[in-house]
Amino acid sequence: MINRRNLLANAGAAGILSASGMGSLLGNMTAQAADSSGYKALVCVFLNGGLDNYDTILPYDTASYDTFSDIRRALFDAYGTTSRARSNLLPLTPSNAADFGSREFAMSADMAPLRDLFNSGDAAIVGNIGPLLEPITLAQYQNSVDLLPAQLFSHNDQQSTWMALGPEGARFGWGGAFADAHLAGASVAERTFSAIGVSESAVFLSGEQVSPYKLTPGGAREFRVKDATRSIRPGLMLPASVRSQFQDHFSGAGAASSSLFLRDVQNIHEASIEANALFNGAMASAATLTTPFPSTYLGDQLRSVAETISIRNQLGVRRQVFFVSLSGFDTHALQAFTLPDLQKHVADAIAAFYQSTVELGEASNVTLFTASDFGRTLSANSSGTDHGWGGHQFVVGGAVQGGRIYGDIPPHDLGHDLDIGRGRLLPTTSVEQYAATLGQWFGLANSELNAALPNLGNFAQSDLGFI
Amino acid sequence: MKSLRTLFALGLFTAVCACTSAGSDDPAPSDPTAGGGQNPPPPVTQALSFDESASLLLQGTFGASMQDIGAVENTSASAWVEAQFSEPMTLHLPRVLQVLPGGLVTEPGGDRSPYADGAAVDSFLDAAVRSDDQLRQRTAYALSQILVVSGAPSAILHRRPHVQAAYMDILVRNAFGNYRDLLEEVTYSPAMALYLTYHRNEKANPLRGSLPDENYAREVMQLFTIGLVELNMDGTPRLQGGRPIETYTNDDIVGLSRVFTGFSYDAPTFWHAIETTPELAYAPLTIFDEKHSTEVEKSFLGTTIPVGTGGAASVDIALDALFNHPNVAPFVSKQLIQRLVTSNPKPAYVARVAQAFESGSFTMPNGTTVGEGRRGDLRATIAAILLDAEARTPALRNDPAFGKVREPYVRFTHWARTFDVNVAQITNQDTLWNAETSDRLSQLPLRAPSVFNFYRPGYAAPGTQTGQQGLVAPELQLLDATSIVGYNDVMATYIFITPGTRDGRPNTHFIPDYTDETALAADPQALVDHLDALLAGNRLEASTKTRMADMISAIEIGDATREDDLLGRAELAIFLAMTAPEYLVQR
Repeated sequence: MINRRNLLANAGAAGILSASGMGSLLGNMTAQAADSSGYKALVCVFLNGGLDNYDTILPYDTASYDTFSDIRRALFDAYGTTSRARSNLLPLTPSNAADFGSREFAMSADMAPLRDLFNSGDAAIVGNIGPLLEPITLAQYQNSVDLLPAQLFSHNDQQSTWMALGPEGARFGWGGAFADAHLAGASVAERTFSAIGVSESAVFLSGEQVSPYKLTPGGAREFRVKDATRSIRPGLMLPASVRSQFQDHFSGAGAASSSLFLRDVQNIHEASIEANALFNGAMASAATLTTPFPSTYLGDQLRSVAETISIRNQLGVRRQVFFVSLSGFDTHALQAFTLPDLQKHVADAIAAFYQSTVELGEASNVTLFTASDFGRTLSANSSGTDHGWGGHQFVVGGAVQGGRIYGDIPPHDLGHDLDIGRGRLLPTTSVEQYAATLGQWFGLANSELNAALPNLGNFAQSDLGFI
Repeated sequence: MKSLRTLFALGLFTAVCACTSAGSDDPAPSDPTAGGGQNPPPPVTQALSFDESASLLLQGTFGASMQDIGAVENTSASAWVEAQFSEPMTLHLPRVLQVLPGGLVTEPGGDRSPYADGAAVDSFLDAAVRSDDQLRQRTAYALSQILVVSGAPSAILHRRPHVQAAYMDILVRNAFGNYRDLLEEVTYSPAMALYLTYHRNEKANPLRGSLPDENYAREVMQLFTIGLVELNMDGTPRLQGGRPIETYTNDDIVGLSRVFTGFSYDAPTFWHAIETTPELAYAPLTIFDEKHSTEVEKSFLGTTIPVGTGGAASVDIALDALFNHPNVAPFVSKQLIQRLVTSNPKPAYVARVAQAFESGSFTMPNGTTVGEGRRGDLRATIAAILLDAEARTPALRNDPAFGKVREPYVRFTHWARTFDVNVAQITNQDTLWNAETSDRLSQLPLRAPSVFNFYRPGYAAPGTQTGQQGLVAPELQLLDATSIVGYNDVMATYIFITPGTRDGRPNTHFIPDYTDETALAADPQALVDHLDALLAGNRLEASTKTRMADMISAIEIGDATREDDLLGRAELAIFLAMTAPEYLVQR
C-alpha cells in the first residue's frame, strides 16, 4: 500500500496531490469558511460494543457462504436451520457488484428494512473502516507499533478514537468540530443546539466551542419544584418568590469560589437550565410527526432527533450534529441469541427515522451514519466472537449515493493479507476518510476538515464518494 | 432506629476513646506538603473539630447525622478508621435469601417475583443507610465501581438477585482483606463469569472451529489489575520516547484467554443443569479440566504456563502474574482515592497509598499499624487513603483542583442517613427502582451501563475548567441537562414528606426525621447555618446562604398552620442545601 506521508515527503506535495485529484481542493484551502446555507443534519448511530461485521454483511455466493459457514460452524449450529440459512438471507444488489467479481453479499432478514433502503438507493455500505494513522500493510502491523492507533481492541479507547481520534481522555470529537465550523455569526440557540446527544453526551459532540446538549426522549424537562400548577406536597405550595429563585440557586449565581469543580458544576447548571427553557419553548409549537417509530431504545432516541429537526426553524439552527447509541454489540457469548434482535432493533429504528425525514421534507438534508468500536473476529469462541478492528458501516439519507458498497469487504475467510489474526480485519478505509466525506457534505472547507481530522492528509482519498 | 443509631454512636465513642488514649502521643502536625512518595509526611492528628469530623465521615461513609459527627468529634481520624475496621460486617446474600428463599426468583404462585429485580440493590441500599460497618460498605461500593458487574435491565445478571448479592458479599468480605484474594474470588464468581462471558467458556475446539473467549482476559488486565500503560508508583505513566508504554499486546490476550476456560457451576458435569440446585447459581465456580486449555502453552506478559497444567493451577499462576505486576498498586490505589477523596490526587499522594498497598501495612498517625504486611492489603490501603495529609488537611482541601463531584447515589444515601429515615427499602419505591437512568439519579449500585462503570476514572469533561486544566472529573460524566433535573426531582420527591402516598403507592418508607431542622425553622439564617455545617462542610458561599434564607423566609408562618409551615421551611432548606453547587462538590 501507499504510505501517503512518505510519498508526500519524498516526491513533493504538489505532484502527488494533483495526481490524486486533491490539488484543486487544497488550492482553495486558504481562509475558506464553511458553507452554512440551508439546513443540514448529521446523525451518528453508535453501536456500542463492536458490531460483528461478518454477521452483518454476510457472503451470498455459494463458495464464500460455504467457507464462512464452515469457519463459523460453532455459531451456525447455535443459529439453527433458519436465521442464517443461505436461502433465508436477503441478497444485496449493489450497483458496483462487478467490483467484487463472483462474490455476492446479503443481510439477514432481521435487517430487512435497512437492506431495502440499500437496494432502493437510500443507503450505502462503507466496508472495512477503522481507526488508522495512515494506510498500513500486514507486515507493518506486525512490526511497527508506531504506525498503529493507541489501544486497539479496547472498547472505551476505540470508541473514543472513533469519535475523537484518540484514546480515552480525548476532549474534542469530530462531530463537535463539524458543528464548530458553522458557529460564525450563530445565535445563542444555534450554539446551544448544534450538537445534541440523546442517549449520552458523548465526546463525539464536544468541540472547541460547542458543548453537547443532552436531550431525553420525550423532550426537555422542567424542575418539579418550579411547577406553579401543583403543590410540592399536600399542604405546601411553594410561593412564586421561591420558584423564581431556583434557577439562580441551582447555578450558584453569585458564588465565586476558586474550586474548579464548583465552577464547572455552576456553569453546567446555568447552561443546561437555559437550554432546557429554550428547547421547551420551541417544542411547544412543534407539529406532530405521523411516521410511526418502534417503541425501542433506539427508536425513541431517533424519534427525538426527528422531533428536534422538526423544530429547526423555531430553534433557528442551520447545522446540527446528533448522537444516539445502542449497547449490546459486544457479543462474546450467545451471539446467535442476541445479535438478531439487536440488528432488527437497529434496522427498524433507522428505517423509521429515514421515513420521518421524508415526512419532514428534509430527507436530502439529513444523513445518518453508523459507527461502532470495532469489527469482530471471524473465528468464533464457544458461542460468540471477540474484538477485531475494521468493520462495515451504513450511511442512510436522501443525499446518499446509495445502493453501492464503498471500500472493501474483505473475504469471509482466514489467512489473507488483511487478516491480522482470527480474521480481525486490518482496515483499508480510515475513520477520518469516512468523516471527511460526511464533513464535505456538511459544508466544511478543506482547511476545516484537515484541522478536525489530523491524519486525513496521509490518505489518498478524502472523499469516498458515498454522498 | 434513632436509639440504635445512638447506641452505635456511644459504642463507637467508647472504642474510640480507648484507641485514642493508647495513641495519645500523636506527633504534632507538620508541613503537609513536604515529602515525596517514599517518606509520607506525618499527617495532622489532633482531635477532630466538628467540620473535620464531618469531612472524614463524608469521605468514608454513606452520610453522617449530627450524632455520627458528634461521636467522632474530639477523637482522631485514626481512631475512627480503626474502630470501623472492627465493626461486624453486613452481608447481603443472607438478606436476599430471607426474601427469596432457596435461591429462587419465583414466588410461591409461580410468577417471577418483581422483587427479584431489586433485592440485592435493596439490601445494599439498606446497609448503606442503616448499617454500622459504613467504611466497609463504602469501600465495597468503591470496589464495585472498579470490578464492575451489572444487573441493569439488559444485562445477563438482571433478575439474578442472589448472584448479585453473593458478588457484593465478595466485595464486602474482602474490602478489609487482600486484593489478591479479592481477585481470585471475583474470578471464580458466577456474577463475573456470566457478566464477562467466561462461564462455560471452552478451550479451542478444532471440530467446531472455536477458540477461547477473550473477554475476561482483556478486562481483567485493562480494568481490574494493570491497566493499559505502564505506571510509575505515583500513578503517572512511564514514558519511552515521549510515548506511554502499553502493558500488553493482543498476543498476551490470546495467551491469557486460554487460562479462563473450563469454568462452570460446581456441579457433576460442565453442562449440568442446576434448576434443582439453585444454590449452585451463586456458589463459587469450579474448573472442568477437560474443558480447560491444557494441550497448549498459555503465554502472556512473560509468563508461560506449561502444557498439561490444570485449570485451577493455571488460574493461580495467571492471577499471581497479574497481581505481581508493579502497576497494580498505583492502578488500584489511585482509583480508590478517586472514589473516596479526590478526582486528581497529587502524584505523591498516590505514591504514599501505593506504598501502603505494596508493603501491606500502614502506620496510622496515632501510632497503630494496620494491615497484615502482605502486598495488596486493603486495610493498609484504605487507612492510607483516608488518613493522608491531602485528605485530612483543611488547607490542602482548599486547593482549586481538590475534591470531586459527589456521586449522585451517595448524595441520596447522605440525605437518608443524615435524617435517619425509618425504613430504607426500595420495595414500594418506584422512583428508586431503576434510579440509574439519567432522569432519576443516574446511578445505582450494581446497575452500571457496562464494565466501564458509570464514568471513567480518566474522564475529562469537555468545555469545562477542569478539562482545560488537564484535570479529570469522572462524576461530571453524569452531569447534563437531563440528569440535573432528574436528581433534583428525586430529591424533591423524598425531601418533601408526602404522608399517605408517594408515586401513587402507600408511603411508609424513607420517612425522614426533621426534628432538629423544624426546631430551627423560625430562624432561617440559623437553619441555613446548621445545614451548611451538617451537609455541605461549611462550603456554602455567603451569596448562596443569603438567597437560601430569603427563599425559606418566603414560606410564612401562620398561627393555625405553624407546625406544618415550619416543616415546610425545613424541607425547603434541606432541598436547597442538597441542590446547591457547593454541596454537589465534595471538598
